[in-house]
Amino acid sequence: MRCFQMPPQVFRVVLLIFAIGVSYLVARTLLTPASFHEYGFYRGAALAEHTTRHEPVFAGKLACGVRHPDVLKTLAKGGHKNLSCEACHGVVSPQHLTDPTSNMDKPSGAICLRCHEASPSRPAGFRQIVVKDHYAEKCIECHLPHEPNEVP
Amino acid sequence: MSLQLTAILAEVAPHFDGYVYPNESGSHPLWGVLIVLYPYITGLVAGAFIMASLVRVFRVKALEPVYRLSLLTALAFLLCATLPLLLHLGHPERSYQIMITPHLTSPMAIFGFVYAWYLMAVLLLELWFDYRGDLVNWGRTEPGLRGFIYRLLTVGVSDVSPAAIALDHKLSWIISILGIPSAFLLHGYVGFIFGSIKANPWWGNAIMPIIFILSAMVSGIALCVFVYMVLSWRRRRALDMRCLDVMGMYLFYALVIDAAIEALDWIHRAYSAEEGFHVMEYMAQQRLFYTLSIGQLLMGTLIPLLTLGSLQVARKFVSDAIRTRLYFTCAIFVLLGVLAMRWNVVMGGQFFSKSLRGVMSYKLEFAGAEGWFLGLMLLSLPFIILTVLIKLFLSQSLLTSGHVPHRPDPT
Repeated sequence: MRCFQMPPQVFRVVLLIFAIGVSYLVARTLLTPASFHEYGFYRGAALAEHTTRHEPVFAGKLACGVRHPDVLKTLAKGGHKNLSCEACHGVVSPQHLTDPTSNMDKPSGAICLRCHEASPSRPAGFRQIVVKDHYAEKCIECHLPHEPNEVP
Repeated sequence: MSLQLTAILAEVAPHFDGYVYPNESGSHPLWGVLIVLYPYITGLVAGAFIMASLVRVFRVKALEPVYRLSLLTALAFLLCATLPLLLHLGHPERSYQIMITPHLTSPMAIFGFVYAWYLMAVLLLELWFDYRGDLVNWGRTEPGLRGFIYRLLTVGVSDVSPAAIALDHKLSWIISILGIPSAFLLHGYVGFIFGSIKANPWWGNAIMPIIFILSAMVSGIALCVFVYMVLSWRRRRALDMRCLDVMGMYLFYALVIDAAIEALDWIHRAYSAEEGFHVMEYMAQQRLFYTLSIGQLLMGTLIPLLTLGSLQVARKFVSDAIRTRLYFTCAIFVLLGVLAMRWNVVMGGQFFSKSLRGVMSYKLEFAGAEGWFLGLMLLSLPFIILTVLIKLFLSQSLLTSGHVPHRPDPT
């Protein structure tokens, strides 16, 4: 029985493709950035690089929780539990951080209406008011933004 | 009105017309000339390859002089096909990361696979099997660097027995058959990238891949006509009129189907009065008048269609010299028309507001990453590569067994 012999040109092409494949795999192991796949399909170190490039603007809820744990605890019980402090109070000012006695902004009713003014585009179950039929923009005279579930 | 507000309005106002969302008012189209060139160059590759496969697969004898020329044209353009995308992305120092971290679910990243398959498994292999016999012979006869390049390209296989050459042809034929769906995949994919964006009425369209493939065939054949004629003039050799007539015939057929499908697309949109049709109508009549109505429709479709169509009927009444000029003019018109079509698709889709009731303006710049100067450089690069490839592989001084233009005299 004659043994099958691969024609030389086909054999060389297969060999070449194999060599390209192997060198690709070697190059891949050597060149893939170390932090790739750390969090997902990107270079994990890119996050750290990005934070050094841009000054952070918001302090975040946890930072507020250091001095105001009671407020955060109250907030966590109600419908506003997912809101960030700075969403209503504005970006924390440097003065407030260095001197805690300097007050942050007291939010006005206009902030509430950003979400609660009636609009057909909002979900039906979402609490909405037509402000001119309600009680002007003086929400916090009756409502407690930290405990929105409390009926006034 | 404060001075500052006046200044802002003076800056912003001329940039849009009609109702435009605030976040679109100052936006510059994210995709510019480079993204216009990407489907254009890729289409030329697919078209030139299909042109070559007419010889190998469909056995069109008359086109044999341009078989190798069209394959080399496809290779020269394919080598530049990723450049517009890479230049658009910027960060050349990271470009290799695209290859070492291939992504399997992003439709954009799939181009890497499509491209690699087409270049490595189709075009280079077909060229190699077609040229192998010649490379071995040239490696023996040619001195110096030239001979070294040929010897290197044989990868050490020197078997030129009739059986080995017959096997080469057989393999080349199989790869060519595989290459036709691959060419459709390559350019259908480019159409898919636009066609799958359903939020944009200018793009989101199931027949976009088909339109792209057909226009690619048209532009590829026109490019082969152009390259063949320029090469013949440069070498002061006579054109093979039969070959040119057959190329003109296929260009006409491809153009008929392409024009019919594109017209059907517009008729369908107009009749079904889709939501976005008004803004598309406005674009065709006003915003893109020169590139769409004049460039794509009149210059790129109607004039070549009428000229090539009448040549099919009255070929024998037209002298060779006039026919040559007509083919050349048609090829250039078609090439420019398809470029205009790519511009209309890519830029047109970004010119109108998502409100479908307003349009933004755009000024094409000369310099810079999205300027037309860089675009022109990019478009001339494949021609420079092709010149080198022709000097190496289609030289008149080399004896050859393959299908080449201006076959050298055996004496």
